[in-house]
Amino acid sequence: MRTTIAYLDAGTGSMIASAVVAGTAGAAVAAKMGWRRVSGAFKKTAATDAPQVTETQPADRSDA
Amino acid sequence: MSTSVEPASFRDPSSTVYYQDGAVLRSLVGDAVRDWELLAKTRFFARRQADGSIVRTEPVEDAEGAPEGSQVVLRHDRVPFISYPYEWTFAQLRDAALLHLDVMLEALEEGMTMKDGYSYNLQFVGARPTFIDTPSFEKTSGGPWAGYKQFCQTLLYPLILQAYKDVTFRPWLRGAINGIEPRQIANLVSARDIVRPGVLKHVTLHSAMDKSFSGKGKCGGSQSTKEELARAGFSDELTKATVKGLRKVVAGLKWKAADSHWATYQQTSTYSDDERVRKAAFVRAALADQQHGLVWDLGCNDGTYSRIAAETSDYVLAVDGDEVTIDSLYRALRAEGNTAILPLVMDLVDQSPGIGWRNTERPAFAERGKPDAVLCLALVHHLAITASLPLPAILDWFHSLRARLVIEFVAPDDPMGKVLLANKPAGLFPDYRASVFEVLLEERFEIQRQEALPSGTRTLYSAVPRA
Repeated sequence: MRTTIAYLDAGTGSMIASAVVAGTAGAAVAAKMGWRRVSGAFKKTAATDAPQVTETQPADRSDA
Repeated sequence: MSTSVEPASFRDPSSTVYYQDGAVLRSLVGDAVRDWELLAKTRFFARRQADGSIVRTEPVEDAEGAPEGSQVVLRHDRVPFISYPYEWTFAQLRDAALLHLDVMLEALEEGMTMKDGYSYNLQFVGARPTFIDTPSFEKTSGGPWAGYKQFCQTLLYPLILQAYKDVTFRPWLRGAINGIEPRQIANLVSARDIVRPGVLKHVTLHSAMDKSFSGKGKCGGSQSTKEELARAGFSDELTKATVKGLRKVVAGLKWKAADSHWATYQQTSTYSDDERVRKAAFVRAALADQQHGLVWDLGCNDGTYSRIAAETSDYVLAVDGDEVTIDSLYRALRAEGNTAILPLVMDLVDQSPGIGWRNTERPAFAERGKPDAVLCLALVHHLAITASLPLPAILDWFHSLRARLVIEFVAPDDPMGKVLLANKPAGLFPDYRASVFEVLLEERFEIQRQEALPSGTRTLYSAVPRA
């Protein structure tokens, strides 16, 4: 995707609203984006948690 | 060579409008250069320039005095007189909105979209709306229209306010350069209005989304949301659906007051009585000695004398404080394809001030071009009696314009004079008399011709300002 510098703040809510008002297909795209955000956030959380587990493992082992 | 940068040209850093010896020029840098090259090749741009609905634009080779760093310089045709949405009627703002959407749809057909959706992207040349902001067009990159919110705030919501609530949008637009916010219009519409076209989607839903997401640091801002929506599959076809939906709503908006007046306007616009014939002949003779550049017809009413002025001038402003009358005049001129008379709504005792950044972004009315001649017919009594302006103050203002003046004095014993005086305490205007007016006029102007109309209560003067 070509990235341009937009001088105008289009408004986050307005962007989503303009997708939804495009009709069923637009609403589906907005929903898909919403799902990606939710699942993306979940993956990020999982990824953030994972190293903490590995970091504790050696200590656990040494304790053992 | 005198060069000055347009004070309003700061929002889009890739494009700067400047003036040089009367020419309107635009300097482009960065992405704007690539977008211009794309735009110049499109069919719709050529077609719209030819019919005047997009300002005629051409590249300038070896431009001298361009702002530092300019990569491309364009020259635009000059708009004869700049006007603003808070001086337009309902029909004018609606036609401007429709043109914005139409060029957006045509751009999308050829792989371009628009960066914004601003009412100030449009001007009027006579009764023809013209799109002036050529750097608005950019190559499509997927995702929704970035100008949707701005279009709603500066074009759709003002029209909805007037069509559905019968509240004129002009004071609001004059007071807020960015228009009406989603939550503001949402608070104004009633439950009954929700079933009206456009309200549920563009007002209620938009306002709710705006409230939920914007300005709270959620979701990474509007630019990343646009990109995310593009990645999720928001195509140009969906943008077209949004724009077509908006177009349908805007095209269906009607302002009842103007519609009913328009119906009678078409039946009653005949001018046959003797006094009107004499007045028309006087005005025609007063302006016949030369071709005038710009004429202001102040208190123009149905535009009869604006049309006479247009016979011997390049451009006429037809200004009146009555929006319904001006709306009908605009519709008549639009139907004729008139590009020489610009109808505007403005109360002369409350003229458009400078607004925006440092009050220079959108200059005051009288700073946008001086007239060569001014018509002031059947107006002075409204200024002097209704608005209580002293006669010397009125004539001082006309004198400051340094233009030929064609002015009518309506005596206090004229039927209209009596109607206006009936609303004021007796004896409040002892100096409102023809003899006083004439002395005051003579002090400031050289009276070249004068004629008393058959009623005996109205006198016309043609005068030029004294140095």
